[in-house]
Amino acid sequence: MTDNILEIESLESGYGEVQILWGINLHVQKSKLTTVIGSNGSGKTTLMKAIMGTLPTWNGKIIFEGIDISRLPPYKRAEQGLIMVPEGRLLFHDMSVYENLEMGAFTKRARAHLKKNLEFVFSLFPRLKERLDQKAGTMSGGERQMVAIGRGLMGSPKLLIFDEPSLGLAPKLVLEVFEAIEKLKKEGVTMLLVEQNVHLSLAISDYGYVMAEGKIKIEGEARDLKENDEVKKTYLGI
Amino acid sequence: MYAWIAALINGILVGLVYGLAAIGLNLIWGVMKVINLSHGAFIALGMFCAYFIFHFAGINPFLAVILILIVGLILGMISYFIVLHRVLDAPELSTLLSTYSLSLIIIGLGTFIFTTNPRAIDIGLGSIGIGNIYIPITKILTGLFSILFTIVLYVFLYKTWTGKAIRAVSLNRAAAEFMGVNSTFILSLSFGIGVGLAMVAGCLIAAIFPFTILSGAVYELKSFVICVLGGLGSPIGALVGGLILGLLENICALKIPVGYIPFIEFVILVIILLVKPTGLITKR
Ligand SMILES: Nc1ncnc2c1ncn2[C@@H]1O[C@H](COP(=O)(O)OP(=O)(O)OP(=O)(O)O)[C@@H](O)[C@H]1O
Ligand SMILES: [Mg+2]
Repeated sequence: MTDNILEIESLESGYGEVQILWGINLHVQKSKLTTVIGSNGSGKTTLMKAIMGTLPTWNGKIIFEGIDISRLPPYKRAEQGLIMVPEGRLLFHDMSVYENLEMGAFTKRARAHLKKNLEFVFSLFPRLKERLDQKAGTMSGGERQMVAIGRGLMGSPKLLIFDEPSLGLAPKLVLEVFEAIEKLKKEGVTMLLVEQNVHLSLAISDYGYVMAEGKIKIEGEARDLKENDEVKKTYLGI
Repeated sequence: MYAWIAALINGILVGLVYGLAAIGLNLIWGVMKVINLSHGAFIALGMFCAYFIFHFAGINPFLAVILILIVGLILGMISYFIVLHRVLDAPELSTLLSTYSLSLIIIGLGTFIFTTNPRAIDIGLGSIGIGNIYIPITKILTGLFSILFTIVLYVFLYKTWTGKAIRAVSLNRAAAEFMGVNSTFILSLSFGIGVGLAMVAGCLIAAIFPFTILSGAVYELKSFVICVLGGLGSPIGALVGGLILGLLENICALKIPVGYIPFIEFVILVIILLVKPTGLITKR
């Protein structure tokens, strides 16, 4: 028995007839921060969509807590505690900040912890507490990312997936987002982080995967990846 | 003078039920971006349900309305899976055609079974007189029930988990699914509620006006005008739009032959679409 919460085996998937993922193997350990890096178009978002069930699994397995979830629709995966903060945030723009957070706790499992999770989100992002009645769509980019992360946490995630949480944010806000993720790590939240910002994500992660052309090219402890020549050359620009 | 006051009161009461009829159309558009061309057919079906429940069971429309809502909800949810689910993500023309065929089936069967003879429900509740103005009690009840259903819908959409899930799905289906919302169920439920409200409106209208199986088309047109007046996608706008239309009809009727009124409504529809295509009452 391993302490892997997520095990992906030879996963193949894509859009319509177009195959994008070619046999992905990936593991996420409980209470660890795992990162997936790779250049634009390497298939990171596609992989996350396949994990969440927005895209069908053509071949292979997605095992979450020992059960193959690769045939379940996205909402059933969310009910199991697999929660994603999607690329582009996808907030309910015409709902208030509070309602967005509330929707995050939609599943029966999460509803039971609504109060506790809300306090936790406020402790992480005090600014949200003052903006509860504001329409999510009228908030700034940084604030919207906080709502998106908060909404994810409201779901009592067993595994929280981030797809490019720092995308489109000013440098100062990028740091804020990474600080928040570090805090979550200290709280013991299991996370899978997809990032373009290779420097920062390797700095806070435990384990990393490097993706290219829909395949995993390199994997290893984050601190080893930082020293890997190929990673240095291609992604860190050293 | 009395005629004007009577027209005002009648306009408000009838306008409320027009508003309710439009809300069903509006909700379906808001949640799944489908123009439900079977809306009028379901209004007519609601009228006939009310008629038969009254004539065979002796239950008046204001009591039968709950039963009719449930029937509409179930019919709508089933219709969603048969008619809409597979074409929902296809271009708009597909959903227009599929809801239109549903309408043809209902109206065709209805004409065959019920013929196009006019019918009416007379529960004989009498009128309330204030001075020289007499307002039928059925009309007053119709107005009150319309407000009631609108409030219940509003509370449902804004205060319950399921209602919030409907709003979430209408704003972002993919994100709602990530939160654990079964969006397919929510879409069918929304179509069920839209159809249910159309049938409820039909039931209430049947209590005040005579009708045939073809009457639905008239109210469908009114619903379109109301949605354009109030802006598609806003339930409160629909109620306000309904009030405007009801008042307009009743006040125009004082000066213009009734037969011209649908023509005037259609002209209003076209003018608004030309001048302000987003509707008169819109958020932001
Ligand atoms: N909806 C789609 N239909 C068809 N092909 C798609 C679709 N979305 C993405 N692709 C293709 O899949 C490949 C991988 O895209 P993906 O979005 O997974 O990359 P990514 O690693 O997330 O990139 P980025 O860093 O820019 O977010 C790309 O070649 C892209 O063109
Ligand atoms: Mg991406």
